[in-house]
Amino acid sequence: MRYLVVFAQAHNDFRLPELCSVAELHAFTIDFYGTCDPTRPYMVLDLAEEAHAQILARRCILVKSVYEYYADGSSYDQLHELTRANRGQWEKYIPDTSFRFNVTAYNHKIPQSRQRCVVESFAYMGFLGKIDMKHPDIVLACFEEYLDRHETTRAKYDGDGDFIHLYFGKLLEEGSARSLISKFDVKKRAYFGNTSMEAEVSLLMANQSLASPGKFIYDPFMGTGSMAYPTAHFGAFVFGSDIDGRQMRGKGNPPGVLRAAAQYGIDSRIVDLCTFDVTNHPLRCGGLFDAIVTDPPYGVRAGAKRIGRKQELSPARMESYMEHRQNPQPDDQPYIPPTKPYELSSLVADLVLLARYLLKCGGRLVFFLPTVTEDYSELDVHQFLCEGMEVVGNSLQDFGSWGRRLITIKKVTDIQNAAPILHDRDSSASDLDHTPAHQHFRDKYFQGFKQRSA
Amino acid sequence: MVRLITHNLLACHAKGCTSNNFPLRFENARVELREAEFNGDFLQGFLPKIEWNALVDTAKQLGDTSLPPEQPEMTDDEFLKNLHHVLMEIHVEEGVMICPNCSRNYPISNGIPNMLLADYEIA
Ligand SMILES: C[S@@+](CC[C@H](N)C(=O)[O-])C[C@H]1O[C@@H](n2cnc3c(N)ncnc32)[C@H](O)[C@@H]1O
Ligand SMILES: [Zn+2]
Repeated sequence: MRYLVVFAQAHNDFRLPELCSVAELHAFTIDFYGTCDPTRPYMVLDLAEEAHAQILARRCILVKSVYEYYADGSSYDQLHELTRANRGQWEKYIPDTSFRFNVTAYNHKIPQSRQRCVVESFAYMGFLGKIDMKHPDIVLACFEEYLDRHETTRAKYDGDGDFIHLYFGKLLEEGSARSLISKFDVKKRAYFGNTSMEAEVSLLMANQSLASPGKFIYDPFMGTGSMAYPTAHFGAFVFGSDIDGRQMRGKGNPPGVLRAAAQYGIDSRIVDLCTFDVTNHPLRCGGLFDAIVTDPPYGVRAGAKRIGRKQELSPARMESYMEHRQNPQPDDQPYIPPTKPYELSSLVADLVLLARYLLKCGGRLVFFLPTVTEDYSELDVHQFLCEGMEVVGNSLQDFGSWGRRLITIKKVTDIQNAAPILHDRDSSASDLDHTPAHQHFRDKYFQGFKQRSA
Repeated sequence: MVRLITHNLLACHAKGCTSNNFPLRFENARVELREAEFNGDFLQGFLPKIEWNALVDTAKQLGDTSLPPEQPEMTDDEFLKNLHHVLMEIHVEEGVMICPNCSRNYPISNGIPNMLLADYEIA
């Protein structure tokens, strides 16, 4: 069966990975028809069953609606010819099915008079049922796609009819997952912070992680828990940790993350929250998780850090320090160990190694990588991969001079590697001859991404 | 929280403490029982990772004796129900976890254990 997917106008680069993830989760395949260009709002695809199309409509955050495909074309002549040829698909609605007929455009507004003409041009279909605007049995829709004319100003109906493509179909299902964006709205959440991730993006991350009932998912940079809520909503059990317990606790009891989870009715799926530095974690074995979904600290709002000192103490100072530590005074509890900065490119390489250890075979690592748009190259991503880890998604969210890439990596090996030791590396004295755009991202961010002369 | 599923995964990771560092022993544990959603697939997926003796002993220490001393080869509903209860529904809200080897204490407050090492404890 052939379907027409209408996308919401957001996050173009995430559309294909999301479709593919949801299809993989539900074990079906998508055949893309013609040139499938994810920057365009309409996509035609073939699916083995109607149920698959419904799954896409119910689970994909970026799907606005799904139509049974009747025809497409670059002119109305073509569109009508194909519609006639596909008569078998719609003739069952001729005798007594009430219907509504929508004519809409992307990047344009069609004057009402011409909308009426378009509807009339389908008169040959000969539907005998009554037109019902409120509760029709079926909704037919014709879409005109126009080029984005960006900033150019023009009169309202200017260029009417200069569409680049046409689509026609019958509504199968409105996308229902988009309503989750408002459900998980950060501002309505019982607990959030300045590191919280916007709802739409965290939902997209949850879909990339293939979250579903019975899965075990980990966020090692848990913070206020933005990734945990949508993943748990989709049925997964979530384990979270953070170097700074206060991020997960907030003020009061129960801890903030649990209060927010309770608001969504998923607190029993938050398995546990632990305070530790992910580079020195206490987990006794690997192969535990179906996915790791996380927003690593990249130093703009919440700097990356790890336990340690920027400079080692002298032996004498170390001794007095230890003396003090072993006889703690009541007022220096809880002990907060010193931390040192953690360079982003090291952190990312460590994260991939750690994920290979902690994930089950087939499990996914989903995380954001900030990058300098102009300097980015594909090598940046390949540089931090290791054997057994494969990129299956790489979607840019573009903020102009910088952006962030949602990277999805799959563990494709069933070799259970030993726990990686995450040494300090000196990233400036890297032995690699390629400098990734995300290296020293924080410095570049605060320099405003000026061209740096050597 | 701390649930026994998590407790079954946490080992002492202080510098040099690499053997006999598991399971951590609860002390002054304030236990709460909270109903959790049952999911058989989740339990089956976790089964191969369980350190069985540690789980049985710890459950016993906290007052639950529903698990068999040997991990059964076949799982039936009754067993999964008990396993679910032990792994997912027993929460330690306050107390400390102590390393059997080096005696390092890991305190729990409001259900969140502090597993953070000091800088001089890092390997
Ligand atoms: C960008 S924030 C994540 C925000 C989170 N997604 C949320 O919803 O609030 C990064 C988090 O990583 C934590 N963090 C930084 N370095 C860490 C480390 N070495 N180990 C574990 N957590 C770390 C920070 O405390 C911070 O909460
Ligand atoms: Zn120890």
